[in-house]
Order: sequence, then C-alpha cells, then structure tokens
Amino acid sequence: MENHKELKSVAKFISDFSTCMMAVGAQTSRIERNALRIAKAYHLKAEMLFFQKTMVMTLWDSRNEHSYSMVSRIKPMPLNFEINARLSHLSWRIHDEHIPLNRASKLCQRILARPRVNPWIVLWLVSFANASFCRLFHGDFISMAIVFVATFIGFFFKQQMQKWHWNEFAVFILSAMFASAFGSLGYLCNWGTTPDMALGTSVLYLIPGVPLINGVMDIIDGHIVTGCCRLFNAALLVSCIAIGLSAILFITGLVTI
Amino acid sequence: MMILELLEDGFFAAIAAVGFAIISNPPRRSLFVSALLAAIGHSIRYFLMHFDSFSLSISQASFFASLSIGCLSVFFAKRLAVPAEVFAFPSLLPMIPGMFAYHTLQAIAIYMVCKTEADQLHYINLFYSNGTTTIFILAALVVGVAIPTFLFRRFAFSVTRGNNGKD
Repeated sequence: MENHKELKSVAKFISDFSTCMMAVGAQTSRIERNALRIAKAYHLKAEMLFFQKTMVMTLWDSRNEHSYSMVSRIKPMPLNFEINARLSHLSWRIHDEHIPLNRASKLCQRILARPRVNPWIVLWLVSFANASFCRLFHGDFISMAIVFVATFIGFFFKQQMQKWHWNEFAVFILSAMFASAFGSLGYLCNWGTTPDMALGTSVLYLIPGVPLINGVMDIIDGHIVTGCCRLFNAALLVSCIAIGLSAILFITGLVTI
Repeated sequence: MMILELLEDGFFAAIAAVGFAIISNPPRRSLFVSALLAAIGHSIRYFLMHFDSFSLSISQASFFASLSIGCLSVFFAKRLAVPAEVFAFPSLLPMIPGMFAYHTLQAIAIYMVCKTEADQLHYINLFYSNGTTTIFILAALVVGVAIPTFLFRRFAFSVTRGNNGKD
C-alpha cells in the first residue's frame, strides 16, 4: 500500500513537470529524457505518450509489480524558455542530488512562479525587432518606421486580448488586422519607396516561429504525431494572419496590386 | 563594401532576434548569445547568397547558416548550462520564412477568386514556388541546427547538469 502511495505521488509530480514543459514549448524528446531521468532517480520506470492537449503516462516500480497510470491535460501556457531551462536543470539536480519528492515539487512550484519579462519591455523590443526585420528585406527607413508603429499597435492589442483570454485565433486575426491596417498606410499615402515591404512585414511578428521549429525538430526526432500537431497548429495561426491581412487588403482596395 | 553590408545585416538580425526571442521569455543571460548567434548566422546567409563565387539559393544558404548557429549553440550551451535550443531557436527566428509562408497562403486565396485560367495558373505557380521555398527553408533551418545536437547527443542533453547553472 505504501508503495502504491509513493508511486502515485511521483506520477503526479512527473506529469505536472512534463505537462508544464510541453506547454512552455520544449522539444518532446527533451521532456521525455527529463521525465525518465526523474523516474530513475526515484528507482521507478516510466513510459509516456504525448499529444497536443493530453499526455498519458505509466509508472512502474523497479520490480515490475506495481504500476500507476494517468492521463493529464496539458494546460495552455505562453512560451517560456526560462522555465524550460530551469526545469531541465532541476531534473538533473533530482537525479544527482537525490532531492526528496516534496522538496522537488516545491522547487518546481518556485520555478513556475517566477515573473515574466515586463510586458512593456516586450512590446518595445518586438516593435524594434519587426522594424529591423523590415530592413533585412531591404525596406527603407520610412517603411521601417511604419512597421515599428504597426507592430506596436498590433502587439499592444494582442497583449490586451490575451489578457482578456479571447480565443487564440480571434486574437491572431484581429492583431494581424490592426497591424496591417497601419502597415498599408505606406501604399495609401505614398510614404517611402518600399510600401510592399512595409505592408508584408507589418504582420510578421505574429509568425509562430518556435512551434514551427519545434514541429520539424520533433518529426526528425521520431515524435511524428506531436510534431505534426505542432506544425498543424502553427499553420492554422499563419492562416489566421493571412485572413486578417486579406481582410484589410479588401477593405482598403489594395488586393489588385 | 561587402563587409559593411554584412555588418549591417548582422546588426539588424541581432535586434530582430532579441525582439522575437523576448516573446518566449528566455533566461536573461542567454539573450545576448541569441543576438550574437543570429548576427553571425544571418550574415553568413547573406554572404553565401550575395557573394558572387557562392550565390547559393536561399534554402541552401539557410542550411549552412543554421549549421553554424547549431555548432556555436552547443558550445555556448555548455558554458551557460542552458539547453541549446533556448538560444538556438531565437537566433533562427529572423530566418523563419514568414514572408514566403504568408505569400503561399495569399496566392491560394487570390487563386480562389481568379476569373481567367491564365490568372489561375499564375497564382498556382506562385503558390508552389512560395510553398516549396517555405518548406525547404524551414527544413534546412531545423536540420542544420539539429545536426550538431545529434552529433554530440549525450553532451547536448546533459548541459544543464551540475552546479554551473544558477538555480
């Protein structure tokens, strides 16, 4: 009976750990390695299966006598590489320093509670980034300025809508619309020599780069199902960006260009 | 002349990398590394595409750029005790074919409303050329950055081990 209780609490911890890592955008093979490492540290064996929204795990004791299985939901969380790095580090500490379970789960909670970068800093940096991105496509300085303001407006509304927990697709369509509405000013007012670059780049801050990379990475790692899920999700978001942008093109009458 | 262009390209790629990286809340000390790697990677790509004796296609150039980012990131991963993808992925972000992906979907959207067959063929052509470019760049980026990780597999997955990572 004692054995069963212990299995259960370790299973709970490992599933919390892995669902968090999945949600913050870690590669599947890294999550698997970290989870197996923790199981090994408590002299247990684990087998796991990941999907986009759920994970399934069975934990065995070392003599294959008792097992505990659980299905857990992967709660959506914003991407967070700091949590990814710290949880990976924690899994090695559990393995090397034999940290007891209750202390490990406290450390895990402490990592998850760490504050994110200030949203205003993010807003400014993203705007500068997208303006520089416009430069990489050989846009002129006027186009860069247009892209900067367009990104600032679009990303600001994106942050607000995410705060209100709106539907993810609606957030992407609307912020693409806000950004491209301002981005199209280059055409409408004849500002600068590269208005096409200003319009095209103004929505690119929304491109889900990390899920795209993670998806391909998972596929070449052999986690084809999770990889395809991530890629499909990213493709949906890119379609949302295209919908938002096309809507603005129709409204402003630029679609014929 | 070429040097100036490369420096400018690297500079703007670094700013772009920092801005796109900050969305995914990376550890502070890895942010500078992402900027550096993005600058190196993007200017390598620019060099391979625009220097006359190479003039590679964008996907071939992306492959070599991301390969160099991958090698450097495994090195920095050990020094900072942070998983390599934490700064390798953000430094790839300025090379993500967002513009091509968007043009692909735009072409299929316009194809739907085309009246004449000539127009339809034109947009099908645009759809395929942009779509294949998107897929090839994306695959080249990820495979390039992954090769060093696979080569040094044990090493890459144990960089966060030990006490040099801050808690």
